[in-house]
Amino acid sequence: MSDVLDNVLDVVSMILFVAGALLALVASVALHRFTGTRSRMHATTKPATLGVSLCAIGSMLQLSDVSNITKVVVIIVLQLVTAPIGAHMFGRSVGGK
Amino acid sequence: MKAVEAVALAIFVLAALIAVIRIVRRSTLGDRAVAFDLLTAIMTCALLVAAARSDDGLPLDLALLLGLIGFLTAITVARFIESRAGEEQ
Repeated sequence: MSDVLDNVLDVVSMILFVAGALLALVASVALHRFTGTRSRMHATTKPATLGVSLCAIGSMLQLSDVSNITKVVVIIVLQLVTAPIGAHMFGRSVGGK
Repeated sequence: MKAVEAVALAIFVLAALIAVIRIVRRSTLGDRAVAFDLLTAIMTCALLVAAARSDDGLPLDLALLLGLIGFLTAITVARFIESRAGEEQ
């Protein structure tokens, strides 16, 4: 039973990792394709929150130590709090461009 | 399963290279800062995958540090761009 659960968790976390990786790839391609700083920011803020969250949840399923899982939770919270603040500051500083 | 993690890491490397090309090539300061922001997010993701791959706590500490440094950099550069735009007017 535990074996089956381990395999399911493995598959789920691999799907999350690959999804996060593809999100990062799409965002970096969008840096070249989009015009204007603000539309580029629109693309890059997705992996900063969703991509990091996907990878973090995926690695939480793989990690065995409780202290490491706690660190991952702290990383998720930090990213979810700081990414919008940084994006807001950028959006204000680049003006209407 | 290790193979899938390696594929994910390879995709992260490719994405980081594309973002670095954006930073190096001729572009405005704001664009470079946005690309750097993306680069730190990609590195955080890659460190999380590396932590899962080795079941080790060290990459997680690095990811936490990178998140803090990336935030401070974003704030500082944004304030710099803002103050420079204010001086020009």
